[in-house]
Amino acid sequence: MRKIILTMLVAFAFVLNAAAQDRTITGRILDEKGAPLPGVSILVKGTTLGVNTTNDGTYSIKVPASAKTLIISSVGLQTTEISIGNKANINATLSSENKGLQEVVVVAYGTQKKTTLTGAVSTIKGGDIENKPFSSVDKALQGGIAGLQSSASSGAPGAAQDVRIRGVSSISASNSPLYVLDGAIMNTGDASRLQTTANLLSTLNPNDIESITVLKDAASAAVYGSRAANGVILITTKKGKAGKTKFRFDTEIGYNNVAYTSERNRPLNATEYINLTREGLVNFGASPATTTATLKALGDSNGVNFNWRDAVLRQGNQQQYNLSASGGNEKTTFYVSGGYFKQEGTTITSDLKRTNGAVRVTNQATDRLSLSVNLDGGFVKQNTPQAGGAFGNPILSSYFILPTRSAYKPDGSLNYLTADFPTSGIYNTLATTSLDKRQLGQLSLRGSLSAEYKILKNLNFKSTYAGDFNTLEEVQYNNPFYGDGVTTLPGSPTFGPNILYNPATTGRVFNYYTRYYNYTFTNTLNYKQNINKAGDIYANLKVGYESQTSKGYFNTLQGTGFPLTLGLQQAASTATPRTASATISDYSFLSQFALLDLNYKDKYILSGSFRRDGSSRFSANNRYGNFYSIGASWNVDREEFLANSRVINQLKLRGSYGKSGNAGIGNYDAYPLYGFGANYNSTPGSFPSNVGNNELTWEENRPLDLGLDLGFFKNRINISADVYKRKSSKLLLAAPLSPTSGFLSVTKNIGALENKGLEITVNLVPVTTKNFTWDVSFNYATNQNKVTALPNDNKDIISGLYIYRVGYDVQSYYLRTYAGADPANGDPLWYTDSTKTKTQNVYSSAQRIINHSAAAKYFGGLTNTFKYKGFSLEVQFYYSGGNYSFDNFNSFYLGAGANPTFNKSSRILDRWQKPGDVTDIPKYIYNGNKSFQSSSSFYLNNANYIRLRNLQIGYSLPSEMASKIKLSSAFFYVRGTNLFTYVKDKNQPFDPEQGSSSFSNLTEFIPKTISVGLNLGF
Amino acid sequence: MKQLIKYSFLFMVGVTALSSCKKDYLVKVPPTALTPEIALASESDLSTALLGAYSGLRNIEHEGRTLPVFGDLLADNAYQSASNSNRYTNFSTYLYTVADGNVAGFWNATYSTILRCNNVINASATATPNVNQYKGEAFAIRALCYFNLVRYFAKPYTENPASLGVPIVTKFDIALFPARSKVSEVYTLINADLTQAFSLMTIFKNSTQFSKYAARGLQAKVYLTIGDNVNAKAAALDVINNGGFTAVTAANHASYWTNALPRTDKVETLFEVSSDATSNNGFDGLANIYSQSGYGDMICADDLYASYIAADVRKALYTPGVRGGVPAFFVNKFPNTFGTEISDTKVVRLSDIYLIAAEASLPSNEPDALLYSNFVTSRRSAAPIASTGTALFDEIITERRKELAFEGDRYLDLNRLKRPVLRSTNYPAAARTINYNDYRRILPIPQAELDANSNIRTQQNPGW
Repeated sequence: MRKIILTMLVAFAFVLNAAAQDRTITGRILDEKGAPLPGVSILVKGTTLGVNTTNDGTYSIKVPASAKTLIISSVGLQTTEISIGNKANINATLSSENKGLQEVVVVAYGTQKKTTLTGAVSTIKGGDIENKPFSSVDKALQGGIAGLQSSASSGAPGAAQDVRIRGVSSISASNSPLYVLDGAIMNTGDASRLQTTANLLSTLNPNDIESITVLKDAASAAVYGSRAANGVILITTKKGKAGKTKFRFDTEIGYNNVAYTSERNRPLNATEYINLTREGLVNFGASPATTTATLKALGDSNGVNFNWRDAVLRQGNQQQYNLSASGGNEKTTFYVSGGYFKQEGTTITSDLKRTNGAVRVTNQATDRLSLSVNLDGGFVKQNTPQAGGAFGNPILSSYFILPTRSAYKPDGSLNYLTADFPTSGIYNTLATTSLDKRQLGQLSLRGSLSAEYKILKNLNFKSTYAGDFNTLEEVQYNNPFYGDGVTTLPGSPTFGPNILYNPATTGRVFNYYTRYYNYTFTNTLNYKQNINKAGDIYANLKVGYESQTSKGYFNTLQGTGFPLTLGLQQAASTATPRTASATISDYSFLSQFALLDLNYKDKYILSGSFRRDGSSRFSANNRYGNFYSIGASWNVDREEFLANSRVINQLKLRGSYGKSGNAGIGNYDAYPLYGFGANYNSTPGSFPSNVGNNELTWEENRPLDLGLDLGFFKNRINISADVYKRKSSKLLLAAPLSPTSGFLSVTKNIGALENKGLEITVNLVPVTTKNFTWDVSFNYATNQNKVTALPNDNKDIISGLYIYRVGYDVQSYYLRTYAGADPANGDPLWYTDSTKTKTQNVYSSAQRIINHSAAAKYFGGLTNTFKYKGFSLEVQFYYSGGNYSFDNFNSFYLGAGANPTFNKSSRILDRWQKPGDVTDIPKYIYNGNKSFQSSSSFYLNNANYIRLRNLQIGYSLPSEMASKIKLSSAFFYVRGTNLFTYVKDKNQPFDPEQGSSSFSNLTEFIPKTISVGLNLGF
Repeated sequence: MKQLIKYSFLFMVGVTALSSCKKDYLVKVPPTALTPEIALASESDLSTALLGAYSGLRNIEHEGRTLPVFGDLLADNAYQSASNSNRYTNFSTYLYTVADGNVAGFWNATYSTILRCNNVINASATATPNVNQYKGEAFAIRALCYFNLVRYFAKPYTENPASLGVPIVTKFDIALFPARSKVSEVYTLINADLTQAFSLMTIFKNSTQFSKYAARGLQAKVYLTIGDNVNAKAAALDVINNGGFTAVTAANHASYWTNALPRTDKVETLFEVSSDATSNNGFDGLANIYSQSGYGDMICADDLYASYIAADVRKALYTPGVRGGVPAFFVNKFPNTFGTEISDTKVVRLSDIYLIAAEASLPSNEPDALLYSNFVTSRRSAAPIASTGTALFDEIITERRKELAFEGDRYLDLNRLKRPVLRSTNYPAAARTINYNDYRRILPIPQAELDANSNIRTQQNPGW
């Protein structure tokens, strides 16, 4: 294996520059307890010249005559600088890092010592996101960062993930953070057009990530100007380090099952369904003959009792393999990696495979000039079944298809083309999912070229051109024999065997091609001015210019009329072209920015930022916007009165305020538009497609943050707390219009809302001895959202299930309040108005009132890590609560007889049956009981839950043993992901994690994964 | 410091150069749309915008499906099979609410089409014969839109012309938030639009676009609906005598209904809304909700089927079968479903005009009533009508039911005649008799309109 890697590296060999050395220094590095430290970086200061210590802690480095100082560093240990002088042997002891003092974090347009930060910045180390059974890195952020809410609305492999930082700041514009990869703004999100869900980040291998920084406040984020309102996530990839080439091989193999199911809400079996339907038909007033005939048609006594939920769910396999090599010499370092990830979903046909590779090379061309190139490519192939209300959705069918219909014939073959699945109803989804195809091929290439030139000792120029190129090839194939793609000739029977297919149109395929090319060109000048001779009072100024353009290209075609075979699945084989269209969609930004830091002996730090942004998305009248921030911090522990404290080793106060923006709207929303495509008799037709707004401009966000960082007892106790209040104004709001205008809404800069909250992160080391350590990491965040201004003198805006009302959460439900079933006659009752004193059985005239909110009020994580010698145990919980989820389809399986030809869920067995029954489920009447199925508070469920997110038991081979088998390290573990979920509300039918909108939409269930893993270093 | 200033200066010069040489860097022109001024400038632009209005008429929630389904499902012609795709269930059971999606869809889609018409009507292009024709067609489409709205969302004119109608919007203005106009005001606009349409149009293109006499035929129906029999008869006779349309005969009745192409021969169809193989509503078209090759949810009521004598060629449009275990009469009026050239939605037919002439002739001129109604029965091999007085009137109404079944007409007849909906046992027991004064006979103003428009909020129909 090493040979293969070495061969791969031949490509880089020519750049490896073996410069003449002057002398050799050797030595040994030990920890506080006297044990040798392997893998410690020894670096000649001011160069990239460096080596790593071997397993016995020794090193040997050739240094040039000019070398003055060695920097000795290792993750988690305090970095030491030792003057070389004439010494030939330099030994050192590294003590545990006093976290927060020396730690360097990646920030906007650079890096910074953590002590000098003025903003609210959180980081996650690569080690915490590596090797997890998640298809994209955003899923790994859940529970790791206070104030960052990461939730899935689908458990499908490759699904999009909702990430919200410090709440929801906008009503109609985007609420997703900005993602920046190695300094370049990326296109992220779901770029697919045919898939039910997809994620551009799924092509990026989390194992290639060195660290993630989350910028939460003005001081840290506002320099990203018009796109910083929802926070910024900086992803920094792994780079090589000088020294012996290090190889790493990681693998994890396991399997996936559904994480949470509610037996109170299981689909009914055949007997239960038939008995219920009989009762419904009698209540409907059907004659005995009609009842018998209808029941017979629904499968009464046909001997079938098929469990559709069991049939569409499965145990999926999970595996990944990652291999990397990194190293280099004083001039050139490299990192190369390759990975393979495969995840099978818990629903039939759902899966994802990713292959990816990365190459990063940095070269110190001259004393002044350094060059670097990063290339990252990932290809994802994903099969995702339908979701939501689509009849082809396997999850929907598991609750809708009658248990009296079997997916299989008695001989075991698929049961389709039969009267069991009439064309008006749901197809046999086991047949359609096996015969049809919904596939995405997503290729992402992300790369950057960067040059940094040291003009003066204290003046640097850096230029980076970075691009991300994403292509999505999507296929939706519907076979010509059965299902959505079938068309028949007039007069044809509707089911087999003698169906007369229409040869011109039966069977169809959609071939979609989507391409995004996004580039960012950034030029910065960085200047440091020392104010005193010691250099510990200084100013740091960075000015920059950045241009970004994203170009989208979309090719859409559909063909129908396949030959009667399953072997041909591309549009080229179809007889009748249906859709053939192509278009583009572009946006651009042009920005100038400046960052200024003033530092007084690391005690007092003042920071400021400014950015001027222009965007193609806004009207010529209002195209430019100015954004800024100011921040300050006071490291009280640097004051003399605390310098010698044995208790407090860190005490820092931070504060920041500023203005950032949100430009997350459509590329052409500002234009009044006439669209085309409203064709008639296959001749072009036009229509007014967008109201437009010549005054449209940025949404403004003004965050205030106050923070406190505390460290006690040499950081055995670390506490970081922030309070924030951020006000969003000039909201990019889709203001509702009277539909009589011909439009439903117009985008305006109108309205305001605010988020305020508290974030606490606590890190404890309750026990640490030579052989045993116990680490606790806990985070907790609250967020309170309220609307503070609305158009037309703060008039309520009602949008579907939700209302925007001044003083209330922006995700407040506005629903009729359900009051249970009338004990006298089983009618559904709703409260007449908000006083809840009177009930009525007429749905339409019952008043809607605010009934809870979809926004989680608090969430966070708790991680306990125990290490004993080589053994380790990690237990991570995630919790979230204070919100209610709305089940979009509960009305179908609990609707008191609405949609009677679909199966029902077992909670309906609680229905009202006779006078005196006290229950919340009304009398079951075939075809429905007084609009009970219409949306009301009945369909809300408390969404509080606690989940065992990660349970990992591992063993690390002692280095002496590892070296015997020629390894530098070996770690073996067993992991459980989402193993256990506690749900407070027993009526909650599905996993309460339903995305940031808490909207349950019969998507693929979130999986739990049991896996084993192996990490080898050599 | 000097050097710093020098390099900073160079940097800023570079930046300025980069930004100034790319002045258009921040200009991104919409690739698939034009600004309204450009899109509505020329004669051919208006032709394109007009087709956009027709396409709006074809919306699933308007003439494309919902409206014709309402006309028969809310009445006594079409019932929903127990085996169904869950479309329109609330209209079978009379359990629709203010929040109903189809009701809101109908309202929104119709006003969206009205906007498309308004933009053509108000366009400033020079009046040429073509421009006049396009504007005339737009007037006719707008009249049809308001006619549909006022008949479903307001009390019949025959009940009280001064009661609340629907909001009148004749030009694009997002700041309008209009209140409801009176029923009589809405009908005044409809008649004015149809008169304009009649005078502006000179071209008959085919059955899927409005023509001079299609507009006149629609006007006959409008007059009949408001109880103006004199004008109804005059307009109907104008179409019969001057329109140049010929009737479909018993012999070619079957082929008339299997034809899905736009007609240029002026046989029977005055106006229909087109769906073809590429411009259509897909599976959600009208044909798919009736045809057993589609969803096939809507079934011909037993009593309607029984009302056709065996010789009546219309009986052949319904075929007995079994659905959901229960015997059912399938509707084959729209046999061409998605995947082919699709059956169109008939809006005005010549036989409708004859039956309007017949009904409008009563009570004063029974011979004319018999003449015009039997013009229809004789071309369907049906038994001739021979009665007098109220029996004759009833027979004409029944003939309308039989001739225009599943074309969205029946419920509106029952409303204007203030008759109860009396449905067969095919329908849910709780919704077999819906009296004329039942509040559900008029649709609720949709919740979303009340939510967005404070001027209409207090004007909800009684009972909702």
